[in-house]
Amino acid sequence: MDLLEYQAKELFREMDIPVLPSQRIDHPRDIKGLQLPYPVVLKSQVRSGGRGRAGGVRFVENTIDAIAAARTIFNLPILGEYPKVLLAEAKYDANREFYLAVVLDYTQARPVLLGSPKGGINVEAVMQHMQQVVVDEEFSPFYARRLALKMGLEGSLIQLVSSIVEKMYQLFVTKDLDLVEINPLGVSSSGEVMALDGKIAINDHALARHPDLMTLASKTTETKTGSVPGLNWLNRDGNIGIICNGNSFAIATVDLIYQVGGRPVSCLVVDGEATASSWEQLERALEQLAQSKSVKVLLINILGNAAYSEQVAQTIASYLQRKVQLTGAWNMPQWVIRLNGDENHSSYKLLADFPVSLVNNLDEAIAQTISLAKAAVKRA
Amino acid sequence: MKNLKPDSKILVQGITEPLGAIYTARMKAYGTNVVAGVSPGRGGQKLDDIPIFDLVEQALSVVGQVDATIIFVPPYSVMDAALEAIASGISQIILNTGGVPPLDMVRLLRKAAVTNTLIVGPHSSGIIMPGKILLGSQESEFYTPGSIGLISHTDILTYEVAWELTQAGLGQSLSVSLGSSAIIGSSFCQWLKILDKDENTKAIVLVGQSGSGNEADAAQYIANGIDKPVVAYIAGGHLPTDKRLDNATAIIASQLSGPIIDSDTAQSKIAAFKQAKIPVAKRPSQIPDLVKKALKK
Repeated sequence: MDLLEYQAKELFREMDIPVLPSQRIDHPRDIKGLQLPYPVVLKSQVRSGGRGRAGGVRFVENTIDAIAAARTIFNLPILGEYPKVLLAEAKYDANREFYLAVVLDYTQARPVLLGSPKGGINVEAVMQHMQQVVVDEEFSPFYARRLALKMGLEGSLIQLVSSIVEKMYQLFVTKDLDLVEINPLGVSSSGEVMALDGKIAINDHALARHPDLMTLASKTTETKTGSVPGLNWLNRDGNIGIICNGNSFAIATVDLIYQVGGRPVSCLVVDGEATASSWEQLERALEQLAQSKSVKVLLINILGNAAYSEQVAQTIASYLQRKVQLTGAWNMPQWVIRLNGDENHSSYKLLADFPVSLVNNLDEAIAQTISLAKAAVKRA
Repeated sequence: MKNLKPDSKILVQGITEPLGAIYTARMKAYGTNVVAGVSPGRGGQKLDDIPIFDLVEQALSVVGQVDATIIFVPPYSVMDAALEAIASGISQIILNTGGVPPLDMVRLLRKAAVTNTLIVGPHSSGIIMPGKILLGSQESEFYTPGSIGLISHTDILTYEVAWELTQAGLGQSLSVSLGSSAIIGSSFCQWLKILDKDENTKAIVLVGQSGSGNEADAAQYIANGIDKPVVAYIAGGHLPTDKRLDNATAIIASQLSGPIIDSDTAQSKIAAFKQAKIPVAKRPSQIPDLVKKALKK
């Protein structure tokens, strides 16, 4: 999860990474209470990059201009995202700008320090001069100095920049981050450094052990509850709904459907564990797809051991029973159900009385789904 | 794992956790020699006749050194449990728990590299040697004893593949799930090497998928150093997927200029295998035929 710039800067401040005096603006009228001396920079607080070019950053000289600019920025979506907050910040004259980051490299399973002597909004220049240092073993400040030298820094700038990188690394480790980025780090003519813009990405798996970050996160995201996770990259105009257990199994199933010309519209992935919450989740998944107007055929491909299959079958049977009683008719997509490799398995007997296709072999389940989906297209 | 035998001595850390208790009972029923469990505060108790200890070192002082430990503790305790095992000289560790913070894994893998510890997982369903030993949460009913080795990152998809092999009369020597987390311990290459040396394994099936893993490295590795026949199956070949950005430069490039979409990562993996002259199955049901063909050569 990404933090907004002003939140990232709050964390920078805690770490003694120098940031400019600033103030949060929740509404254009807050400008009147601005404590900062003009000129001031107003910055849209959105997650997407490229806000400068899109008009989300403005310099203002007085209150009247500032209110007008604030109104404009609040009404300016950047890649579809409207800011809820602006950041008003003192203006800073940078002599040079650097790029600095600490990021977790998943391929190497190690943190990597990154730095470019050409920071700022010119992405190509940043990337062209990017240097990196892999933190192979326990971190020590020499890794940061190694980066500073690779960036071509000399004299007092070496310690100045490496001490910022060191603090970024401490933040990275103590808060379980995926990324800490300062771009640009401004260097003034008097040789001082300042984090002018910042980005922080928190690792979702670690979030729960950082109550302070959870508070920040709750301010910025509307969490969806109750929806069953699924795969993307599906066809909007497809007509096949799929429920699988396990992500890879879902990918394989969707792949097989595509191979024979089927068009999946949605694929939900349920937990593979035999717990009460799994059965509730399966029920929600069934409801979600059975109610979807675009789903003409619903393929359930849930593989597990004998006892698990039986409980899945029971969950499906009681769902179908309830539906039929409630509506008095079979007002649903066609179902193809594949639960267990063994065709004589008791799970299939539990579903035998419903007008659904029961198949024990995966290839046959795919073939049956495709033929029903094609028939549905013809009827339409 | 190295030198795994039907009577290998196994420890379970987090034995009283809900999944720990369920899968320990199953392992024992399968015949796995679970000699002790660890659960702080529950020392002195028993579960399925298995003695429980408060500390790993206490357990080992009573039952002697173990061949492997399986960890079921909650995500934020996984690193600590694994470090405790390493400190007691256990050299093979299976992490069943998922959702472990990546930086914990970074720290653990640094330690594992120094101590030469083999780590499987996190989020791994473990290892099964059908008919011999079960370590973790693998479902045994899809397997049957034989000579095919199976390496994957997942569980359910692997069961599908195992079931196809079983039905075709191709039993399995060993199946390992390397785990589905972003940062994992042992890799495809390490396990290819282990199975290449394993005298009970005649052919190897590698199950990969789009969007994760180091299958392309594995293809290269097989071409250069694996003598036994290998068949690959990569799920997701027909899906356009977002490329998972996992190296530093790619992550930063995407931060700066928007997401990088690679339309066909599974395709590029499949191409890597084809280039290395490794047969690639289009679907699970094709795997047995390819294995039989490869074994005839």
